[in-house]
Amino acid sequence: MGDPFSPTLGVVFWQLFVLAGLFFLLWKFLFPVILKMTEEREARIKKDLSDAEEARAESAAALEEQRSLLAGARGEAKAIVTEAREAAERERATAVEKTRAEQEELLERARREIGAERERAVADIRREAVDIALSAAGKVVGTRLDAAADRKIVEDYISSIGGSK
Amino acid sequence: MMQEPQEPLNIGKMIFEHTGDAHDLDFGPLGQVELPRWQPVKIGNLSVDLSPTRHVIFMLLAAAIVMLVMFLTARGLTKARREGRAPRGFANAMEALVLFVRNDIAIENIGKEMGPKYAPLIMTFFFFILTCNLLGLIPFGASPTGNLAVTGALALVAFLVIEIGGLIKLGPKGYFGTVWMHIDGLPPAGAFAISLFMLPIEILSKLVKPFALMLRLFGNITAGHFVILAMFGIVFTFGHFGAGSWALGIGTVFFVIGVMMLELLVAFLQAYVFATLSAVFIGLMQHEH
Repeated sequence: MGDPFSPTLGVVFWQLFVLAGLFFLLWKFLFPVILKMTEEREARIKKDLSDAEEARAESAAALEEQRSLLAGARGEAKAIVTEAREAAERERATAVEKTRAEQEELLERARREIGAERERAVADIRREAVDIALSAAGKVVGTRLDAAADRKIVEDYISSIGGSK
Repeated sequence: MMQEPQEPLNIGKMIFEHTGDAHDLDFGPLGQVELPRWQPVKIGNLSVDLSPTRHVIFMLLAAAIVMLVMFLTARGLTKARREGRAPRGFANAMEALVLFVRNDIAIENIGKEMGPKYAPLIMTFFFFILTCNLLGLIPFGASPTGNLAVTGALALVAFLVIEIGGLIKLGPKGYFGTVWMHIDGLPPAGAFAISLFMLPIEILSKLVKPFALMLRLFGNITAGHFVILAMFGIVFTFGHFGAGSWALGIGTVFFVIGVMMLELLVAFLQAYVFATLSAVFIGLMQHEH
């Protein structure tokens, strides 16, 4: 007693009692009250964090979905445009082809008609020429050259001229 | 002292009387209160004197102060919560301190799993030791933590918690492994010999840790009081220098104020160290393989 280097057993027991009592009271009654709010706050923060993480994952998934939808729509639009362009191209090609064929046909018909017209004209001229030649020759010889044989001669002649041409 | 200025004061005796335990409360010029003396209690053939001493009174006072502070904190926090506002002032500061001890001392060192279970004990250690340390710095106060019996009892509790906690966590076999060194890559006989040789050392290392806890707290608190009292002793020893004694007195007061500031730091620091080391030792046992 009266010296810090000579501890007494009584104080050891006192300290054990006091510490036990203090610990019990703090542990049972006061610390839970003080820490309750902290523990709740910790739990809430933890929950908030996990909620935020969940929401983030959800929005990321939604974004991904949107993106894939958009990509699909874009591809589809491109396909539609391509198809339309091809159809238009085909349409145009067939129209041109048809027009050309029509023109060709018209041209051909015109040519044929012209040919036929000319044939007829040539035949008419020939006949006319034969008539004129026969009547001229008739005047020259003073007789009427009308027999089939005469006509034959003149026609042969004209043919030979046409042939020699 | 004023009545007999010629009588030299025995500084060493004065220091020991001030830092030692006593059966009275000394209020200096206001007088003394004698504490009751009780009959020793017999436990077997052990005689224990449970009479309250100065340190016992201050230990009870410290416990009461801790209870009061925690009660006010709890009430302030509950009130703030009920009113749906943030806690402020004293309750908020104490909550921050309690949380610091819980999170950064107990859970940080013991681990996330077991930390919250041991935290109340570490918090009790911290606040009780802090209050005891601070009580020695107020006028007419005394630090129960400047008593080897007090720090010894605290260290004993820490020791029991460390070892029993380890025993519960590791099981008898695992706990035995903490004193029985396991060495790989040795022939069985050699490993056994070395383990047997290391056994007393391992057991001793278990005992040294709480012993160091006891001495560190006691030494730091007592040494601080010694320094302050020794500095006051300067006044009495060299106080007869005539004109120079004024300067001496003023200088001493400044030195003592400086040391008091240091003591304030030490009071917090030693409470922190005791709580942290207890938590570290508990954590070491919990994570032993």
